[in-house]
Amino acid sequence: MNYLKKLLAINSKKEIPTHTTPDKAKKIELTKLSLLDLKSQLLHSFGHTADLQIDEAKVGKSNVMIIYLETVVNTDFLKEMLGKTLESPIENDIKVTTMDELKELSKRSFGVSGYEIIKTFDDIVSGILDGRIVLVFEGIPAGLSLSYINSEGRTVAEPTTQTVVRGPKDAFVEDASVNLNLIRKRIKNHNLHFEKFMIGNESRTTVYMGYMNAIVNEKILVEVRKRLKKINIAAVFESANIEELIIDKTATVFPLAMNTERPDSAASNLMDGKIVIITDGTPFVLMVPVVLTDFFTSAEDYYQNYFMSSFVRLIRYLSFMIGLLMPSAYVGVLTFHPELLPTTLLLSIIAQREGVPFPAVVEVFIMEITFEILREAGVRMPRAVGQTVSIVGALVIGQAAAEAGIISNIMVIIVAITAIANFVFPNYSFANASRLIRFILIIVASILGLYGVLLVLVFMVAHLSSLRSFGVPYLSPVAPFVVEDQKDVFIRFPLWSINKRPSYLSTNETKKQQKTDSPSPPVPEGGKKN
Amino acid sequence: MLTEKLSLTQLLTLIINFLLGSAIVIGVGLEAKRNAWIVVLIGMFIGIVVMLFYFYLISLLPGKNLFEIFEYCFKRPIAICLTVLYVTYFIYVSCRVIRDFGELISSAILPLTPTEVVILTLMLVIGYILYMGIEVLGRTSEIFTPYTFGFMGILFIFLYAGGNIQLFNIEPILAIKPHVMAHAIFPSIAVFPYGELIAFTVILANVTDFKYSKIVCLMGVAIASLILAISVFLIIVTLGENTAIRSNFPLLSAARLVSIGEFIERIDAIVVFMMMLGILIKSSVFMYGGLKGLEYIFKRPFRYFSIPVACIVSMFSIFISTDFSDHIQEGILVSKYLIHLPMEYGIPVFVMGILLFKKWKKEKASRKEMNA
Repeated sequence: MNYLKKLLAINSKKEIPTHTTPDKAKKIELTKLSLLDLKSQLLHSFGHTADLQIDEAKVGKSNVMIIYLETVVNTDFLKEMLGKTLESPIENDIKVTTMDELKELSKRSFGVSGYEIIKTFDDIVSGILDGRIVLVFEGIPAGLSLSYINSEGRTVAEPTTQTVVRGPKDAFVEDASVNLNLIRKRIKNHNLHFEKFMIGNESRTTVYMGYMNAIVNEKILVEVRKRLKKINIAAVFESANIEELIIDKTATVFPLAMNTERPDSAASNLMDGKIVIITDGTPFVLMVPVVLTDFFTSAEDYYQNYFMSSFVRLIRYLSFMIGLLMPSAYVGVLTFHPELLPTTLLLSIIAQREGVPFPAVVEVFIMEITFEILREAGVRMPRAVGQTVSIVGALVIGQAAAEAGIISNIMVIIVAITAIANFVFPNYSFANASRLIRFILIIVASILGLYGVLLVLVFMVAHLSSLRSFGVPYLSPVAPFVVEDQKDVFIRFPLWSINKRPSYLSTNETKKQQKTDSPSPPVPEGGKKN
Repeated sequence: MLTEKLSLTQLLTLIINFLLGSAIVIGVGLEAKRNAWIVVLIGMFIGIVVMLFYFYLISLLPGKNLFEIFEYCFKRPIAICLTVLYVTYFIYVSCRVIRDFGELISSAILPLTPTEVVILTLMLVIGYILYMGIEVLGRTSEIFTPYTFGFMGILFIFLYAGGNIQLFNIEPILAIKPHVMAHAIFPSIAVFPYGELIAFTVILANVTDFKYSKIVCLMGVAIASLILAISVFLIIVTLGENTAIRSNFPLLSAARLVSIGEFIERIDAIVVFMMMLGILIKSSVFMYGGLKGLEYIFKRPFRYFSIPVACIVSMFSIFISTDFSDHIQEGILVSKYLIHLPMEYGIPVFVMGILLFKKWKKEKASRKEMNA
């Protein structure tokens, strides 16, 4: 036993050395370094990377070293601005020797464009990496970091995954600051706060957490902040990475955070009291906490007539059930309960299946797997060959397979309706969940028939009701049932009647607006008011 | 350990589904033949009285469940003995309920599948639900209950539209000897399903608004009784009393009569769904009672027992009787008098007597102190 304990102790002592964890890096005060030393230190840590620029210049009478990465800095702008400010006649015979003089100079020359005085070597390194320019004056134990970031990237374009017929046509882009701007433009309110986080020990990705200060539930906010701070991972490239690290439970197929690329839907969720998480480098913005019914809501629901929106929403719920249950119901009914079908329908199905050599479950599996392959190919293939895949797919999956007698015609219909129903969801991540469960359902239906299907459904609902997204029950407001929240769940009430924010978020300010009346025609003059 | 709370809606749906449970599967009050629906309606009042009794028992010591009340009344060793008794009882009833369902599935839906498989799969789902806690059970029940109501309505409409409802089947009304009627009411309907509400003495301690839960409980009993009465009424009216009594699963037989335009036929599936939900909730509630008892005895969180106990329940649900007629016979002749009556009424009345006496004594002592 003792031996074992010793062994365990030895093993637990071993720590895997991480490369450059910011917290543990040594803090070198700048006082100890001369310009030359600094240069060699920098070259040492950057390892002679091609885009590191270390220029030496003279401002007035003092030597200055200008350090930046030319790939991330806007160099044209830099030359113009820096040249103008530093070579202006006022500066010509100045010699900067003390901290106060440095501060004075920066106030005078860079006061408008924003500057930061930094005192350690690590700050210089991280400043350079963030795309800033660092100026170090000889003999002063501090540097000046200026922001001339080269914000090259996609311009704001139409959303590609969450499209609407009527509504704003702009979408988030990869650049987080542009995304913040897109949201700011929609909510002109001082209560809209953004908190900045640096996530990823090595990649140091900027992540913003945005919320409406007066509305958001303090407890949820604290929880999100805590979880974001707790993230310990080498690199973050997509908001999905963050999603996976902050959700309540990972052993589930259902998404516990919503993503969107539409600024309008992010803004409307902010107004409901939710929290958005904007990751630099991806156009997909996370929204938490989320409940199941949110995935059946599209931004467009609020841009069209509420009768139509309600109808479309019901269609979405219906298509969720179809996408989930259609193939398994086919297998279950045909294998175990053919008597449930009306006789004529049964006869026609049987007649079609006469030449098919497989049992229903094999038939369903062949078609479903084929479809999944086609679908995956459709997403991954190079654009140029897209035509080929769709033609081959349509022919193979449709006519040819049926004519060859491998599958029956009704099977084609079922796979097609299932596939189409799966594309109805406004949010892609939720459609994926139902894709997986569909296969489980097919297998169980082939063993236990419709009873098995019911069993899996009950299991699914139990699982759903055990889920929580940042402490909010996933199935609210249906279970636990809240009457007043039903105005915007299965059917959408007219906007003037939705005066309250969802109660499950328990927001600070529950009222959206004062009670309003429905629009009505003007009362004719002298007429009686009815 | 996180304390779990049930909302009032969840409690309501739990009670409704609990009472429907196996009662809707095998029919209730059919001893009174064509007057069965009257028996159920009278039973409603008995159910309300029974519910009030259990509720009063629990409200004497708010926030404590049945087992903790035992401890208050007796010392812990005796309380443990009583708890063991109740754990056995709850698990036994859970077995019986699940057996009802297993027989239903294997005789009506999946004749070739072994009952054991059906029962085990359902029990594993129940085990999972209870592992997640009573909250999850409440929410699951909350979500499915509207479907129960909807399906009952659909069944009624379809039977009516198909011309299967023949009102002469219940006439003449109340042409029955009083003692037969009385026997159908007590002990039969008082024991099953209303007496089984004893399981809620364990659950009521978890309700958020204890103040309102009384009225919610009574509402639940009333609504469930009405649905039961409707189902019994439908059974008698469509099948006629003779077929109804001979049929193993009368409501299912009634549903099979539905045939509209040669298209809407065989709506068994929705009736089985309704029954399955009731069974699921009822069996879960009983098993939860048993698990809570185990928690009280062993002082370990109940969720660790849930999957093993689910396996035990599924095993014993097969062992308790050789076949369906044996199972029903056991329910009518043996367990009604030997098990249900003492466990549902005997011990609780006794415990309540002691509890009231102890409270009275305490009050007297405190009053003496006040005077002195």
